[in-house]
Formats: sequence, structure tokens, C-alpha cells
Amino acid sequence: MVSDFKSKSKKMSKSKDAPDSESIQNNTSSTSSKRHFEEEEEDESDEDFELNGLIDAEASEDESQDSEDEADSDSDAEFNKMLAEEDQEENESLSDSDFSEEPKEDTLSITDRLSGVKIRTLSDASFNSMKEVKTTFSDGRERILKPEIDPVYDSDDSDREELNPIGNIPISAYEEYPHIGYDVNGKRIMRPAKGSALDQLLESIDLPEGWTGLLDQNTGASLNLTEEELELIRKIEKNEVTDETNQYEPTIEWFTSQTEVMPLTAVPEPKRRFVPSKHEAKRIMKIVRAIREGRIVPPSEKKEQDLEEELNFDLWAGADDDFSKDHIMTLRAPKMPPPTHEESYNPPAEYLLTDEEKKQWAEMEPSERERNFLPQKYSALRKVPGYQESVRERFERCLDLYLAPRVRKNKLNIDPESLIPELPSPKDLRPFPIRTSTTFEGHNGRIRTLSIDPSGNWLATGGDDGTVRIWEVLTGREVHKYIIVDDIEENPEDHVEAIEWNPLPDTGLLAITCGDSIYLVVPPIFGYEIENRGRLKIEDGWGYAKTGSNKTNVGEINKGDGDSEDEEGTTATGSRDEAAKWYKPTPDQAQRGISAVITTSRGATSSASTIKKISWHRRGDYFVTVSPDGGNRASVLIHQLSKHASQSPFRKSKGIIMDAKFHPSKPNLIVMSQRYIRIYNLQFQQLEKKLLPGARWLSCLDIHPRGGDHILAASYDKRVLWHDLDLSSTPYKTLRYHEKAVRAVSFHKGGLPLFCSASDDGSIHVFHATVYDDLMTNPLLVPLKKLQGHKVVNSLGVLNVAWHPKEAWLFSAGADGIARLWTT
Amino acid sequence: MAKIKKKGTSGNAKNFITRTQAIKKLQVSLADFRRLCIFKGIYPREPRNKKKANKGSTAPVTFYYSKDIQYLLHEPILNKFREHKTFSKKLTKALGKGEIGDAKTLEQNRPKYKLDKVIKERYPTFLDALRDLDDCLNMLFLFSNMPATDKVSARVTKEASKLTNQWLAYVTRERCLTKMFVSIKGVYYQANVKGQNIMWLVPFKFPQNIPSDIDFRIMLTFLEFYSTLLHFVLFKLYADAELTYPPKIDMGKLKGVGGLTAYVLESANGEAGSLLPEVKTDAGANGDESKKEKALSKSDIQKALAADAKEESKDDNKEEIQEDEGNQDTVEEVELDEFKDTSKHTGDLLEQPSKYAQPTSTLFSKFVFFIGREVPLDILEIVILSAGGKLISEQSLDELKLSNKKLDFDLSSVTHQIVDRPKVANKVQGRTYIQPQWVFDCFNKGQLLSVSDYAPGETLPPHLSPWGDSGTYNPEAPVAPAEEGEEDENEEEEVEADEDEEEEEDDEDLKAQKELEMEAAGVKYSELEKKDEKKSKKRTATQTEEEEEKELKQMMMTNKQRKLYKKMQYGLNKQEERNKDLAKKKRKLEKTKEQLKK
Repeated sequence: MVSDFKSKSKKMSKSKDAPDSESIQNNTSSTSSKRHFEEEEEDESDEDFELNGLIDAEASEDESQDSEDEADSDSDAEFNKMLAEEDQEENESLSDSDFSEEPKEDTLSITDRLSGVKIRTLSDASFNSMKEVKTTFSDGRERILKPEIDPVYDSDDSDREELNPIGNIPISAYEEYPHIGYDVNGKRIMRPAKGSALDQLLESIDLPEGWTGLLDQNTGASLNLTEEELELIRKIEKNEVTDETNQYEPTIEWFTSQTEVMPLTAVPEPKRRFVPSKHEAKRIMKIVRAIREGRIVPPSEKKEQDLEEELNFDLWAGADDDFSKDHIMTLRAPKMPPPTHEESYNPPAEYLLTDEEKKQWAEMEPSERERNFLPQKYSALRKVPGYQESVRERFERCLDLYLAPRVRKNKLNIDPESLIPELPSPKDLRPFPIRTSTTFEGHNGRIRTLSIDPSGNWLATGGDDGTVRIWEVLTGREVHKYIIVDDIEENPEDHVEAIEWNPLPDTGLLAITCGDSIYLVVPPIFGYEIENRGRLKIEDGWGYAKTGSNKTNVGEINKGDGDSEDEEGTTATGSRDEAAKWYKPTPDQAQRGISAVITTSRGATSSASTIKKISWHRRGDYFVTVSPDGGNRASVLIHQLSKHASQSPFRKSKGIIMDAKFHPSKPNLIVMSQRYIRIYNLQFQQLEKKLLPGARWLSCLDIHPRGGDHILAASYDKRVLWHDLDLSSTPYKTLRYHEKAVRAVSFHKGGLPLFCSASDDGSIHVFHATVYDDLMTNPLLVPLKKLQGHKVVNSLGVLNVAWHPKEAWLFSAGADGIARLWTT
Repeated sequence: MAKIKKKGTSGNAKNFITRTQAIKKLQVSLADFRRLCIFKGIYPREPRNKKKANKGSTAPVTFYYSKDIQYLLHEPILNKFREHKTFSKKLTKALGKGEIGDAKTLEQNRPKYKLDKVIKERYPTFLDALRDLDDCLNMLFLFSNMPATDKVSARVTKEASKLTNQWLAYVTRERCLTKMFVSIKGVYYQANVKGQNIMWLVPFKFPQNIPSDIDFRIMLTFLEFYSTLLHFVLFKLYADAELTYPPKIDMGKLKGVGGLTAYVLESANGEAGSLLPEVKTDAGANGDESKKEKALSKSDIQKALAADAKEESKDDNKEEIQEDEGNQDTVEEVELDEFKDTSKHTGDLLEQPSKYAQPTSTLFSKFVFFIGREVPLDILEIVILSAGGKLISEQSLDELKLSNKKLDFDLSSVTHQIVDRPKVANKVQGRTYIQPQWVFDCFNKGQLLSVSDYAPGETLPPHLSPWGDSGTYNPEAPVAPAEEGEEDENEEEEVEADEDEEEEEDDEDLKAQKELEMEAAGVKYSELEKKDEKKSKKRTATQTEEEEEKELKQMMMTNKQRKLYKKMQYGLNKQEERNKDLAKKKRKLEKTKEQLKK
């Protein structure tokens, strides 16, 4: 709408521009009633202009219709006139001057305005002509009409809205007045005419078009809206497009899928539509090449590549160039051992296994096999087949690496020879017995015992044949023979178990045990003097026995264990007498040379117990005998030669007593049971010491002749035990070198640091044993020689040994019935 | 009074933790724990006192060092394992619902872990890693030769073979191979890399027997670790040798003969440019210097010829080689293009002969070997190249023929032809025909052996391990003849009485013969006998004396010492017995051989 109006007004201005300039003068001066009609006709359009506020158009309109302003003022005047006519009845006196003045002003202002407009549009010539106009007043005076001050375009307020500037005052306040407010100039704005009563009636009968029932606030007239306006309001309310264009026009299908019968163009398809594009092929090939060369990578691969490239760096950059130190708890896995000749595809022929070995290998558990393969030989490389166990072996290695518990094992890297103790060479420790120099043959059956007389000239042996033979040591000649058991066929159980020379060299007394009896003899080899002294010694005792003074100087020993509670004192002494009985030899025995007989058998009721061991006190008066199955009373007996008295020192024996010996210097008795060795002090009658050899089955003992601080014990369980009494109750050395039961041990009594042990394996071991007075130094034991010569008969070898009293000679009694002298 | 120590707060009780406890502490599954242990190199221990370590129980349990487990608590890989667990749950869920797309995206973003930190932890220095490379190489070589199955993916085997070939390429280039041994299990190699002796076993290229009862998951976990380790080790080695890593792969060759030849080693700064400028240009055209060439080409031959012609000094000094290179290059330019690929010169190998520590690394430097197609090329390739030799293989010639390339270069420079067949049909003059074992034995001995023993069809001398015998037996030592008489007699006495008699007669005859000879020489019979007797007696006397003394001294040993001594003696005796057995077998074999000869 707006644009429409604009164009209209422009046209109008163009068409009417030229005649304007000429007709101005005329217009201003002319006054015609004609115009009134024109003006009234145009009134509507004028109002329209005003409403729409079209400034340019209005200006041109103004120019084009020079008389318009006049007409305007005319119409105003008319209005005023009409109003005045109406109002004359009410207030006639109301300012006539006002009315009269108004049109003058109006006209003036209009001309002014017009001239202003002219200034802008006119050319220079016309402008000059418009300068001061000199006229004369009617009275003749000169009158200069100065040109109007040219107001600028903006000063034109002709577009001013003809509104009622009523302000806040409600229109009802003017109800009683003919006007409804005042304009800018303070003049009344008259109420619009309401029409005649007939009109009102008509109005009330049928509603006029566009009736709203509202009053225009500014004018006080009823507000009527046109059909168009209402439509506009409706559209605005509904949020519809207020534009007139149709939104829903039917589409025109310019391009359709339907082929027209008559195409727009009938050009045939070009060739390129049917030929593969070279350009495209080129471009594709470029991509393909890039992919092939790896310049373009698909995203999935790219990811992988990136990952790979991420790992391409020097992991050890900046680390030192040496091994790192292992933590103490780190145990590195051992490397696999390198392959050996056996694994070769073409090993030396000797490495191949025989059929037997192969079979053995196949039968073994796989884990026990020394090698996990069979050596094979192929004549050429091409014949070597694949190895079938590779994967398994690698798998087992894996298991070992992560599953096998690791232990640090210190490998003992020593020369086995270094384990052998450093000892002085036997060559430097001479003399010691090395070879058999004399054999003493004559016994029938095994020789159980032997003893060398204190002078060292005579050897006494006793054997299973019931005889005791005396030999000359140097020659091996049998000088005397005692038949102890005369009826050997009847009593096969009776053997000569032990013999021992009296240690006093001037007596020549020999004690022999056989069965449950002890025989004392004086062999007729020493010459009269000595023999007589010996016999007298035996004879002297008979007197004591007869007087019945049984008292001995050896009291009964109270067992150290505190067995004193069973103080069966008197009864004990009563029975003590019966421990052993001394008899004079029967004529038969006397004829055989026996000087005295001591028997331990207690009649028919008590079973006889064999006396196995005999040992003299160093003074030669006492001797002790041991019978292991003698029970409490008779197992250990101490006999006194001078008084012909025997007694059992123990009320109760502890275990089975195997051996007993007097201490070489102290008044001590050393008693060996099967397990223990006990040392009793005879003076105080108490247990002094108990030794624990640690053997199960002790056989015999010997005491070091110097000081008696060392005890050597042998056992049937193959051991020889060296006890140092100063050290502890356990052995200082346990020597296990015999293969069978040890039957005898013996120290050299004549000052040489030697001892020996004899065993059922038929060997005698000779040792060097230095004992130091210094308590700090341990005894030095050096094995010297293994003497072998005795035959093993019925699994019995050497039964007894004895050292020569002075020389480093050794006598041994064998189960083969031969006694030997071993000399250096 | 000191505070009473509470039981189980120190020592074995504190230091060791059972496997069940460890798993509980780490909150992982057994399988994950196992993998973690393999990666981190954590292994069970045997506590000194099991009872104390296990709260008084002596039941058989696996113990771990508790600090090891403590460290595992903070292991990033552990978290990855947990992530993987949730991932697999998600994946199965998605698959169960049939949401393939989701599953695919999940799969693409599966959590991955890297082992580089672990390797650095386990091997803080490079030498540590080299020291432990044996198992790594063994495993990778095994897998590189394994077919891809449902348990072992092709990717894994491919990766393994790639890494192993890279390793071999390095070893042969640096010529650090010291020993090799063809056993029935495969071929053992030992290389000295940076002062570390590394031994590995390469199985023969035959299909592997894959036992059904083997848990491949364990093997693959190890393999994963080892391949990462070897990758880093190789990277470092290549970097130290100024080579680019990973080396280029000649795809054509990889598909053809395969093996080492396909790997093109390229130095990091393009080439040893300053030394051999001509080579550089040439190499640029050829795709760079590569040491690896099995298929030798004209240039090699030309080079060899040139060297022959020069004759003045055959030493490998640099200048001459450079000259040779020059010759070669000019020749090459004239020659056919096809040969350029294959004709990579071995120049850079020879440029610094002094740098090879091993005496064997220049052993075959004057030889050109022609390898028959029946001979396993991979073994010989490694050995000959490590010893500085050149080789032409019939296989590659065949390939060239197949691809219709010209074969107009002459093979006259070939010095040795390696043949593994009983007879050679048309021998070429001037070539020495040998069996492959000659190469191996020469390499191990470090010297050239007589060729006559190794001629085709000959019975080969035994192939001995360079690591020697498992005991003290020396198979090369001649058999002592003195012992022979005794033992053989004894032996045969037992077995065959008749023969024995005969032999005794023989012996007697021999004796008589000897005596006669002696008499002729002027020695009286009686004297002779006496002398012998005396000698033997003396000897035996002194021997027995010493023995006796020793025996006596042994009596004084304590029980502990005696037992130890016996144990040691047992081992020694066993060894001795084995030696005797082997010697006896050898004697017997020799005897039968002699008899056969007669």
C-alpha cells in the first residue's frame, strides 16, 4: 500500500512541476469560490495523506495545488462559521475578533509557506524576482514587503496530526461543552457534528457498515472499521501472514520424471556419457597407488601402524651400559644347558645307545630320563627329520620359568680330597706293628682270649678246646698247656673265656675264667723262686677264709642313684658270702696244676652264669670278674687274692654288665653296661661319672694307662668310641671304620701312644693316639695300619688283642685257632 | 625384659605369600594372575621353612615373595586387565543382543596395554636384556616356524618370523655368530652380541607336531612379552649399528625364496656415504645397500674375478675393497638392470674387517659357495654370511629362470659347491664339491678343514658340538691301546670263551714275537722278565701304600664329611664309568671296522 502511494504522488509531482512556477502569482492573488468545491472534493485525499504521513508527497501536493492552503483555511473558516452559527445561541459574545483574525493569519502563513517552497525549487532568475517588493500603502506611504523568512523544510508542520491534545483528561470532562479540547494555538477544537436527529435515528435502526460501538478517543466520533481493517485484525490475532500473497499456490513441475512426448531438446546423448572417464580413472589410480605404496592407510590399519610406531624408540636411552645389580631376593632363571655331542645329527658312533639301553630309556619315566632324546646318527644332512618334541620342550621351559619354585642352592665347589683330614704320615709315627712275625698254632677251635705276662716273654692263650696254653713269644713254641675243662665233650658250653696275668712281675700268677669258675694257676715256667712266691700268695689266703673274716676293705657301693632306700644291709651281707666260693683244688685239678678255684655257682637252684671278663687291679691283689647274665648279685664280682674273699659291690646291677676294669691310678671301678659306662669311686662308694657312648651294644673297654682320663669303648654295632673324661660324657670321637662288630680294644700299656681295635671282619686297626697333658689340646688320633691276616670263621674274626708290655708288638687271637704276633 | 616377639610377624611367615592369598589380594582371576606373573617375571619361591611360611601347614602350596605381590598391586597392567574384563562383558552383552554395530565399535576401542615399561623394569640396562635373550629367541624361532592354527593366529607367527629374521639379519651383518651346531632338535647358534653369549635353537623347517595337551595361552603370553622385548632389543641394536629400524622388506623376495635375503638393511644416515660414494649413488637406485644377498650376482662374481686378477694382496684392506667396489659398480652400470636388485654388494661388510671380534668372521671371505637346492639354505646362509663368504643358491637361480630373467652371468667364480646328494652328475671343473657339514665344522673349528673327508658320498666324520661333551669324555682322543688289551680280554672272556682263547694265543704269539725281537737286540730273556716284574711290583706297592694311607685317613672323617665325600666320589665314579663305557664302545667299533677292512 505504502509503495503504491509513493509512486502515485511522484507521478503527480512530476506532471505538475512545470506549470507551477508560472501560475504562482496568479494563484496567490486569485480568490474564487470555485475552489471551495474543489477543495471539498480533495478533502478526503488530503486527510488520507495526513494519515499516512507521506511527507514528500504532501509537499509536492502542496506545491501543485497552490490554492489548497487557502482552501484549507477556507474550510476551517467554514467549520468555524458553522460552529459559530450553532453556538451563537449559547454565547454570541464569544470573540468575533478571534474569528476575524484567524483566516488572516492562516492565509499569511500559507503564502509564506508557499514562497518558502518556491525558493527551493525555483531557478535563480525567479529567485531574484522574488526579492523585496516595494508597494505603497493605501495612504501613500511606501511599503516594503520583505520576503518571507525561508523556513527549512522541517519547519513545515503541515503534517501535524490534527489530534486533540487532550492529555490525561477524559473526554467525558468535555461532555457539556461544544468543543472537545484545545489545539496548539489554544483554540477550541469543536466537537464533530453529530448529525441530525434523523440521522441518529437511522443509525439506531440499522448499524452502519463497520460499526464497532467504540468512540474515537481523539475525536469523540464513533469509530468505524472497514472490512479490510477487520480482516487485518483477524489475521494478526490468528498469527497469520498479513500479506495478501497466496501461500498455497499450485506447484508447477518444471522437471518431471515423465518423459515428454515432445522433448524440449532433441540433441542426442554425447559420447562421453558412454565412455569411462580417463580423468577419473587417473585420479582413482592415483589413490590406488597411494594405498599400495602405503601413503594412504585405511583408518583401522592406521591405528595399528600408529601403535607400532609408538614402540619404535630406544627403550634404554640414558640407561647405563652395565649390568644392573640384582636384588638379594632375585633369582634369575638358569639358562638352558648347551647341547652336547650326543645331540648331534651325526654324533661319534660310541654315543649311540645299544638296543638294551634304548629299551631301558623307553621304559623310564620321561621325568627321570637323563636326556629327553635318543641319540641318532644320520649319514647326511638331508636325512635329518623334523624333531617332534620341540613345542613340548619349549612349553615345559615356559612352565619352568613361571611355575617352578626357585631356590638358591649353593653349589659346593670343593675338591673331594680336601675333605680328607690332614694327618701326619704313619711313616713318621713308627714304631707300630705291621706284619705277622710269629704265629701261635696249636689250639683246637677258636682262641677266645690271650694275655701277655708282665715280662713280655710269655703269652697265654685260652680257647674253645678248654685248654690254656703258654707260649714263648719269640719262638712261638708252646711251653705249657693246662687242660681246664677235662671233659670237653660233656660240657661243650664251657670255654676258657678270659685269662689275665697278674700284673706283678714276680708272681707269675695267671687267672683263668671258664664257665662260672675262676682258676688261679702258676705256670711252671718262671723258675722256682717266682713260682713259689706265686703259690704262696694263693696259699696265704686260705687262712683268712678259714677264720671267716669275710670283712673286706672294699665296702659295698651305694649306688649313686640313691638306691639307699633299699637298705637291706644285713641280709645283703649274709648273702654276700655266697657270691663266690674259694676252693682248694681237687687232687685231679691239683695234678693239672691248678692252685685255686673260685666258683660263683650257687648250687643247683641258681643257674650258672658264665664269667666273660677278668681284670686285675694294678697292685695285683684284687681282680674283678664280669658275667653279663649273672643278675643283680653275680654280674660284677671283686675278688681279693690275699684274703680269698669275693664280693659283689652292687646290690643291683643296672642293665647287662659287659665289662669292668679298675682305674690305673685312682681307686675307681669302671663298669660298662650295654649302653652306659659308669665310673664308681670305691673309696667313697659312689657313682662318680656316667658316660653316654651312644652305642647300643658295647662290648669291651680299655682305659688309657696315663692318668686314666681317656676311655676307649668298643661296641658290637661297629663303633669304637673315644671318651675324654675331661670333655663331656659323650664321646670325643666316634670311629666307624670296622665293617663288623668290634670285639676288643686295647691301649698300649708300655708307654707307646698306640691303641688297636679288633673286629669280626678279621682286621685289626692300629692307631696312634697322643694324649696331651695340656687340657686345651685334644688327643690326636692317627690311623696307622690295618692288620689283616686272621681268617673269618663262622663270621667271627679276631676275638682278642693284647699289646706287648714294652715293645710295639701286638698279639691277636683269632677265631681260626691261631694267635699272631704282629711286630714292626 | 625385651618385648616378646609375636609369631608370624617376621621372617618366612612375613616374606612369603601363597598363591591363593596373592590372587585374593590382587583381586584378579587366576588366568590374569598367571599372565601378570609372566609379564612381570614373577616366579614362585621355595621358602627355607615351609611350615613357618604357611602357618604351620606343610601342605604342598606355591609360595610367592610377598614383596613381589606388593609391587603388583600398583601395576598399570593390572588396571588394563580389569578394563578388559568390563570390556569383554560389554562385548558379550552386545553380541548377545545382536547389536553388531555396537560390538564393532567396542571391539575397535578395546583396551590395549603396552609392555615397554615392564621391560624397562625387568631389564633396567640393555645388557640385562641381552643376557636373558636366550629363551626369547628360542620361543620366537619356534613360533616363526609354526603353522597358524585356531590357537595360534597367523599374525603372531608372522610377527615372530619378522622379528627373528631381523635378528638374523643383524647377526649376520655384524658377523657376531661364534658357534653353530646341527643337532637332531634343530640348529643351535651362538652369537656374541656386546659381549653377551646368546644361544638359540632354530628348529628344522618341517611341520611341527603340535601336542593337543599344551596350553597355548601360556605360550602366547610368553610370546607376547618376548616379541616386545626382542623388538626393543633389535631397535637398540640397529640404532647402535647405525641402521634404520625396522629394515625394509623386499616383498618379491619374501614371497620367493624368503628368509634373510628379503631384509634390506639400511644405515640410518642413508649409507656409509663418505667411505663409498659410488656405492651410494648406485644404492640409491637399487633401493639401498643391503648386505644380504643370497643370490649373488654378477657384481659379486666380477668382484671376485677382479680380486683374483689383482693377486698382489688378497688381504681385505679397505682401499682395495673400495677399488673393487668401484669396479663392481661400473660393471653393474653396464650390465642388465634386473641384476641390480639382486646384486647388492657385500661391500659394507668388508669395509672394516678388523671390527669383527670373531676369528671366524673372515674365514670364508675368499670363497664363493654355490648351494644346491637340496641343501637347507637358511642354515648355510647364516653361517656363510657370518664367515664372510658369498653364496649363490640354486633356488634363487631357479626363481630367476622362472621369471624369465636372463641368466647370462658366468658362475666361474664359484669355488665351492655344497651338495647333499650321494652322487654329483656333472661336475664343473674348478669347483670343490663338499657336503654342508664341512661348512659347519670349519666354522666351529675356526679353520679350514681338509675337504676330502667331506666329499659327496663320503662317510662324514662325526659332527661334534662346540660346547663339548656332557661329561669329561673326549671323543676325539685316541683310544689308549694298553687298556685295550686288558679290558677287551675281560670283556670277551665273559662273552665268548672260544674267541678269548684264540686271542690269548694271539697275544702269546705277539709276546713271543716281541721277546724274540728283544733277544735279537741283545737283551736277555730273564732280565727282561725281571725288569717287568720289578717295575710292576714297585708301582703297585707304592700305589697300594698311598691308597692305604688315604683309606686310613678317611677313617678319621666325620660322618658329615664322609657322606659328602662319598657323594662326590659317586659323581666322579659315575663320570669315570661313563668315560670308560664310551671308550670301550669306541674300541669295539674300531675293532669291527678294522676287521671289516681286512
